[in-house]
Amino acid sequence: MSAGGERHSIASASPGGDRRILFEDVSKFYGEVLGVNRVDLVIPPGITSLVGPNGSGKTTLMNLLTGLLQPTRGRIRVLGMAPGEPRLFHHVGYATQVDAFPRGATGFEFVASYLRLHGYGPAEAAELARRAIARVGLTEAAGRKVAGYSKGMRQRIKLAQALAHRPAVMVLDEPLNGLDPMARAEVIGLFRELAEAGLFVVVSSHILHEVDRISDQVILVNGGYVVAEGEIEGVRGEMAEHPSQILVRCDRPSLLASRVFERDSAVEARLLGDGRGLLVSTRDTDGFHRLLQGLVINGELAVETVAPADADVNSVYGYLIGGNGQGSRT
Amino acid sequence: MSTRAETVEQDLVDIPRPAEGGPWGNWRRQLPALVWMEFRRTFLSRRALGPWLLALLPITILGLRAIWPNAVERPGNVGEATAIFAGTFQFHLRLVIFFGCVAIFGNLIRREVLDRSLHYAFLTPLRRELLALGKYLAGVLGTGLLFGGATLAAFVLAYLPYRSADFFLRGPGFGHLFAYLGVTWLACIGYGAAFLALAFFVKSPALPAVALFGWESINFLLPPLLKRFSVIYWLQDLCPVPVNHGPLAVIADPPNPWIAIPGLLLLSAALLALSAWKVRRMEVRYEDE
Repeated sequence: MSAGGERHSIASASPGGDRRILFEDVSKFYGEVLGVNRVDLVIPPGITSLVGPNGSGKTTLMNLLTGLLQPTRGRIRVLGMAPGEPRLFHHVGYATQVDAFPRGATGFEFVASYLRLHGYGPAEAAELARRAIARVGLTEAAGRKVAGYSKGMRQRIKLAQALAHRPAVMVLDEPLNGLDPMARAEVIGLFRELAEAGLFVVVSSHILHEVDRISDQVILVNGGYVVAEGEIEGVRGEMAEHPSQILVRCDRPSLLASRVFERDSAVEARLLGDGRGLLVSTRDTDGFHRLLQGLVINGELAVETVAPADADVNSVYGYLIGGNGQGSRT
Repeated sequence: MSTRAETVEQDLVDIPRPAEGGPWGNWRRQLPALVWMEFRRTFLSRRALGPWLLALLPITILGLRAIWPNAVERPGNVGEATAIFAGTFQFHLRLVIFFGCVAIFGNLIRREVLDRSLHYAFLTPLRRELLALGKYLAGVLGTGLLFGGATLAAFVLAYLPYRSADFFLRGPGFGHLFAYLGVTWLACIGYGAAFLALAFFVKSPALPAVALFGWESINFLLPPLLKRFSVIYWLQDLCPVPVNHGPLAVIADPPNPWIAIPGLLLLSAALLALSAWKVRRMEVRYEDE
């Protein structure tokens, strides 16, 4: 039964005690074509989303992180280990976006066979494969050939293969592609479960509103450069040159609009269609909130709700990369 | 899909994870698993049909001769069987084993690149050098069994129509058989290492394989120094029955078996080391990714 020792726990997954993923001045060129350039990143545990348009360098970053590519320059460390070190793969699982599988394999064989290459014995590999397949909801189809699976099932079996050896770092390239809404919700639930257990879950996706919902932090990539990184709100805050949008539902939006435009920092104010609110764009969020507070204290305005209208990935993505994010393909 | 709360932590505690080991990791478990996985994929699947059919060629030829009425005029002339098998074995060695090894070893890595499934193995804690070694060993095991089995069957069929009991019981029969089997395995080892390495330098091994086949075929015409740069040179004189290449053949001293066998093994090891080095440096960049 024993595969040779060491009981695993997530807390002890990093051999050197380094609980981070680090990119230090990393560049990758494919001949003369830029993959990524001068990337400095620190990725903490939790769900981190890589967002960017097609060809922006997301897959290159993931392939560098997992040693499938070698950096042209710079240094990468995953839990203190270099991506080229074989022992790293005890701790890293990667579901690529490549939709290909060993010929003729059933779902179970696909997952179990690679567990054998991790050093698990036949019985252990079979048990771990069964568990991983159950976690992605494919138990019924495990004995069927992967070639006959639907796109969503293939996505899920890749996910099972990536998590079967219980890695501390999960790297998932477009893992939500091809999943129906139910499966998508379940997979997102699984990501959250893994993140809550202290794992690193690095996800790329072009479905921005889903990234927004699941991410602890976001990394925006464009043209091979990291454009912004951090928590969604933090990234948004970094965009000082872009005005913040604040939605205020109140009884006298016209009054609010006139007071807003007395200030230099206001860029735009739009009345909502129902006449009971105002969408304000301002470069001075704190000043706007002080103004609003004064109007309420003086009894000039009755406020129902105040909410940021653009502190989501879509907005940040649009500011930084120039699209609205809805139709982007990565 | 299970979202049971216990899954993550429970999974971690009741099956110990393999020891990470030293620089070569958990190779005692990984290597046999890889060899078996690769063996099944390469020899026990539909893609093995070509090599299996190739292996049947000498068996079919000698089998037909064995059952064909009056094909053997003098059943007491065992020397005739020896000469016929010696000739058939040259065909087996130069065509069947050669092209069988092209098909198998040339595709051990390349097939997975074309299928875009190589990254699955790269993403395991198996050292890439061991990946090359494991695939090679699976290839040697499979081709050795397949073409060695064909050698054995063809040998039996060659002597079947003759009164060959004395040749086996009191003569050199078994010695010949073991020598031919040894040459078969050595051919698989040598050609296998060559075609595994070749596959890293060319997109399709077919054309270089034909060129190499030409080189091996004209070996008997080459000057003694150049003869050494071919697998057939080292194997030829290990066969128990010398082959007459005709009046144009350039005569060279036959290699001493004590040099030929280690020499071939060393050459194979060097080619395998080259393959391992290439795998170690390999990047996964599927063209349509």
